Amino acid sequence: MKAYLRNPLTFVWALLTAVIVSSWAWLTALATDVRKATEETFATMGGAAHHLNTTITVVVLLAAAVKAQLVIWLFMEVRHAPTWLKATTSGWLVALFALLLGFYFAAQ
Amino acid sequence: MTEIAEEFSTGTGNTRNVDARRHVPGEPSMWFFVIGDLIIFGVYFVSYMYYRGQDQDMFLQGHAKLNLNIGAVNTVVLVTSSLFVALGTAAARAGKAPDALRLFGIALACGAAFPLLKLFEYIPEITAGMTPGTNLFFMYYYVMTGMHLCHVLLGLVILCFVIRNLRGPAKPRISFVETGATYWHMVDIVWLVLFALLYLMR
Repeated sequence: MKAYLRNPLTFVWALLTAVIVSSWAWLTALATDVRKATEETFATMGGAAHHLNTTITVVVLLAAAVKAQLVIWLFMEVRHAPTWLKATTSGWLVALFALLLGFYFAAQ
Repeated sequence: MTEIAEEFSTGTGNTRNVDARRHVPGEPSMWFFVIGDLIIFGVYFVSYMYYRGQDQDMFLQGHAKLNLNIGAVNTVVLVTSSLFVALGTAAARAGKAPDALRLFGIALACGAAFPLLKLFEYIPEITAGMTPGTNLFFMYYYVMTGMHLCHVLLGLVILCFVIRNLRGPAKPRISFVETGATYWHMVDIVWLVLFALLYLMR
């Protein structure tokens, strides 16, 4: 069983998990800081809202695109698939994230 | 040395790559559903982003009310489950059905944790008065995560059928194992995007 875990896919999993856990820790720390800084408004607003932050949004959306592509390419084995399938999945990913970022910035 | 020659020379561990070359993993008809589902979820995601732009304050308040801890743990749970499905598929392809069975069993156990954790997330939210009727953010939150949860539950049923297929006594059908794996990875991909859109972005 251990031999299976020595598969390169395990390294991909470790990378994905590291990105997920670090974004979790980063945003938890950030939310705590904001809550401390806005202790007074917290009660009057009925709970603190998050603050608009384009840097965080761009980083987490690009990270999500990379994570999704790693799963498609390596776990789903699209890397070895015919060109039409590679083109379809990549097209979906690029179009989706271009539209998400486009609508996000259109509102700023 | 070419990549193919290297794969032959390194022997056992990599033979699956040779088999998988220029090969659609699973039944092409399942890819029709997978791509269709990805497009449908994609439309939800883009429309969510559009409406978020119409009332950013309301959405920013909504983001802050979600349980990032459960969201993150569930993301790790699904990615881990996906890893074991990928390893199990490789084992099945190498003709090691008992190993594949064990790996798919672990994947199923991880996957089953997802709806359970989701319950611990939904119940306090609903009892605190955050329902689909609260505002547009929560409407999107419940509809998108609810649709995804249905896919998780269906995926768990498919994993059970893959396990039954691997258990024998007939020789397991690799194309069915790959088809189940493809569906399960799709569920994982949708969640990775949802996690960023609902829990992480600002």
